[in-house]
Amino acid sequence: MSKKASLRFSILRGFVAILISLFIASILIFISAEGGSFGEKLSSTGEALVYLIVRPILNGKGAFSVKSLTDILACMIPTIFTGLATCVMFSANQFNLGAEGGIMLGAFVSALVAIYVPMGTGIHMVVAVLAGAVSVAVMMLIPGILKAKLDVSEMVCSLMLNYVVMYAIKFMMNTYFADKTKGQVQSLPFEKTALVPQLINNGSKLTWGFILALIFVALTALFMYRTRWGYAIRMIGINRDFAKYSGMKVAAIIVASQVIGGVLAGLGGGVEMLGRNEFYSWSALPGYGWTGITIACIAGNNPILVPLAAFFIAYLDKGCNLMATYCGIPAQLIDIIQAVIFLFFAAEQFLSGYRQKLVVRSAQQELREKEGQK
Amino acid sequence: MAEYNSEYAVEMRHISKVYPNGVAANQDVDLCVRKGEIHALMGENGAGKSTLMKMLFGLEQPTSGEIIVNGEKVNLTSPTVAIAHGIGMVHQHFMLVPSLTVAENMVLGMVPKKNGVLIDYAKAVEITKEYSEKFNLEVDPDAKVMDIPVGMKQKVEILKALVRGAKILILDEPTAVLTTQETSELFKELVNLKKQGYTIIFISHKLNEIMQITDRLSVLRGGKFMGVRETKDVTPQEISRLMVGRDVVLTVEKDQAKPTDTVLSVRDLEYVNEYGKTMVNKLSFDVRKGEILGIAGVEGNGQKELVDILFQFATAGGGSVTVNGENILGLNQAQIREKGVALIPEDRMLYGIAGDASIEENLISDRCGKKELNSGLMFNMKKIHQMSKQLIEDYIILCKSAEQKVGMLSGGNIQKVVVAREFSSNPQLIIADQPTRGIDVGATEFIRKKLVELSRSGIAVLLISADLNEVMELSDSLIVMHGGRIAGYFEDASKLDDEMMGEYMLGLKRQSEEEIRRVCHE
Repeated sequence: MSKKASLRFSILRGFVAILISLFIASILIFISAEGGSFGEKLSSTGEALVYLIVRPILNGKGAFSVKSLTDILACMIPTIFTGLATCVMFSANQFNLGAEGGIMLGAFVSALVAIYVPMGTGIHMVVAVLAGAVSVAVMMLIPGILKAKLDVSEMVCSLMLNYVVMYAIKFMMNTYFADKTKGQVQSLPFEKTALVPQLINNGSKLTWGFILALIFVALTALFMYRTRWGYAIRMIGINRDFAKYSGMKVAAIIVASQVIGGVLAGLGGGVEMLGRNEFYSWSALPGYGWTGITIACIAGNNPILVPLAAFFIAYLDKGCNLMATYCGIPAQLIDIIQAVIFLFFAAEQFLSGYRQKLVVRSAQQELREKEGQK
Repeated sequence: MAEYNSEYAVEMRHISKVYPNGVAANQDVDLCVRKGEIHALMGENGAGKSTLMKMLFGLEQPTSGEIIVNGEKVNLTSPTVAIAHGIGMVHQHFMLVPSLTVAENMVLGMVPKKNGVLIDYAKAVEITKEYSEKFNLEVDPDAKVMDIPVGMKQKVEILKALVRGAKILILDEPTAVLTTQETSELFKELVNLKKQGYTIIFISHKLNEIMQITDRLSVLRGGKFMGVRETKDVTPQEISRLMVGRDVVLTVEKDQAKPTDTVLSVRDLEYVNEYGKTMVNKLSFDVRKGEILGIAGVEGNGQKELVDILFQFATAGGGSVTVNGENILGLNQAQIREKGVALIPEDRMLYGIAGDASIEENLISDRCGKKELNSGLMFNMKKIHQMSKQLIEDYIILCKSAEQKVGMLSGGNIQKVVVAREFSSNPQLIIADQPTRGIDVGATEFIRKKLVELSRSGIAVLLISADLNEVMELSDSLIVMHGGRIAGYFEDASKLDDEMMGEYMLGLKRQSEEEIRRVCHE
């Protein structure tokens, strides 16, 4: 099958997965919909589906709204970064789940620099975000080196590390950095010099971070497909023995892939924190890392597709929230819908029978063409 | 029922087996095993022994032919059916649960119950002890399987089959993992079982073992039945003739080699495997520029370990290896390649390629960091495309484009990708480990011609092959390995005949130390 046909198949497969999960979602919505009779339930299901599918980009009056769209785009900023981070790590066959703790650590460290290290406008933001990125890179050295040297499962290690990071940050916030004049645990406000500037001033908090995220999508894609290091990461992910036999430094690259993942997650944390907040107040894992894993999976670990997947998730997220607000559908439903979509994307055999048919058909066609030439 | 001879415990008549991928593993094979005998099934690797036994144990179904057990025609659709007919198999790789005790393994799938629910562990121990004593196979029922030595694991496997009522035991290369002491112990136990009326089918290609304990033997070669003999009436030479031989002789045109300087030099190389068995024993040889040195031998005589050491997939226990006078032991693969060593690995799917990556990506794996393929931080895609296009043309790799996934190609074309990369890496030494195994005739011929061409252009080639035809036709001079050592060195491979080769391969003959020492060109 040609590259084009493969791509067509992937898109079709994604589309079918979404349709099936929406169908399952409709059933679930129907079950939890308000109304006594079947007809009433049906009509409130229809209404809920409208909120889920169309409303996210409309305003209250039902017309297209830029504000609604920019709201969604703003939500994508951190998840693009964690999605990219996960793409890189998963490409090396390293199931590192540390993007979650990573984005929290990146946000925290950037916040500290933004509060306590005064600098000029612009440079302050850059330094703060970079400090966050470096801190997460160091954090990812732990699962990376343990994996490379002692064959410790990076999945277990990074998963546990998320909680270590979270509790360490909570401890430090409570003990050292809390603004004692406030009613909740939050830091002092960030210096204005450290804030990530807004892209559009319409209250969406869509910052320049979004542009930065797209730039990193391109950079990550170039890195993975156009440099020797990205190439080595992918080859190790496909066949580690082959990489070793070919003379690649497998252990070093395994560590590097996780450190790069850490840098990306850390950048996301800093950009999110300094773009959409005025002080640090996260007391639990933000969930962006988990979403990033879903996104990487939907994107098939291809950085170029990450923004699409992130948009899809953000859109769905908003739709579900609207549904919960206006139709009395439980907000937890989004988790179920996401899980269903995730399952269909992750199921490698899904539609493989159809794929086989396509392969056979294209092979036969080629044979005919060859014979035709003769 | 009368038509079948009840003298036999097992009769397999006109058995043929064609696998779905088209490989004919057995062609019209007959195997008759008398009741109460130890019957050897012999043949080289790939001769079809395992396939035949898998059919007898119900793991595979014959394409045609019939199987008669104790005078009754049977249809062995699964191991459960085979066990019900009193057939038990001890696999070469043990099928035991390491974290369970011996007694628990023994009763797996037929657990004695207390009150219908709880596992009656005491009963399991009792059963184990009873059988252990009855057959004089000593095991410790309470020990965990992961803690017991290999020899005892094998006893557990045999007991497992016996507990399930097996009267016919298939042992698949039982001595391959055993030390000498464990082997002689096993033989005593097998003779004991025979006395009690059990029938044993013993798969092996070790001649001395066969001569020692079997009553009769059947030989397979290339999936065909070569004959059955009474062990006491047969000479080792005859067995070797039956087992080793060439059916079709493909010839490769080559002119006389003119070897010059030594490139690869191996001295007193030693390797002991994880079971404590010496696999490579004081091995010394040289490969010179412009020659192909072949290594022949039945598989499992140290060839795999030798290649693993040369490419640092295993660590040598002693000795030295130099390439152009520089040590390569302990270097990593990148450094070994830097010294000009290229390897066609035996297992091309495991080491040779990344199946999900494109042809192009597979062609640059060893040189992705080289200056000529990079410009600054980035790949020079133009150069990479150019190079891969050239290689695909030169090596006639049949594909739609360089972007096609390697895993989608045929075996022969996959091997051409490997060969194209290795041969174009500007090597001084090529190690070709089973370079044409399982690939089509066209690709085979192409790769063989390339090997000769490269050696004549002044590259040293070390060829390891279980394919007798290949190793005899291609090599300028030749080593036969047996038991981790060199059994014979032949300066002119063209003067060899199959029969003589067979005798060296099976360890019947061995040259003197002086004769063998000639392979070191000092």
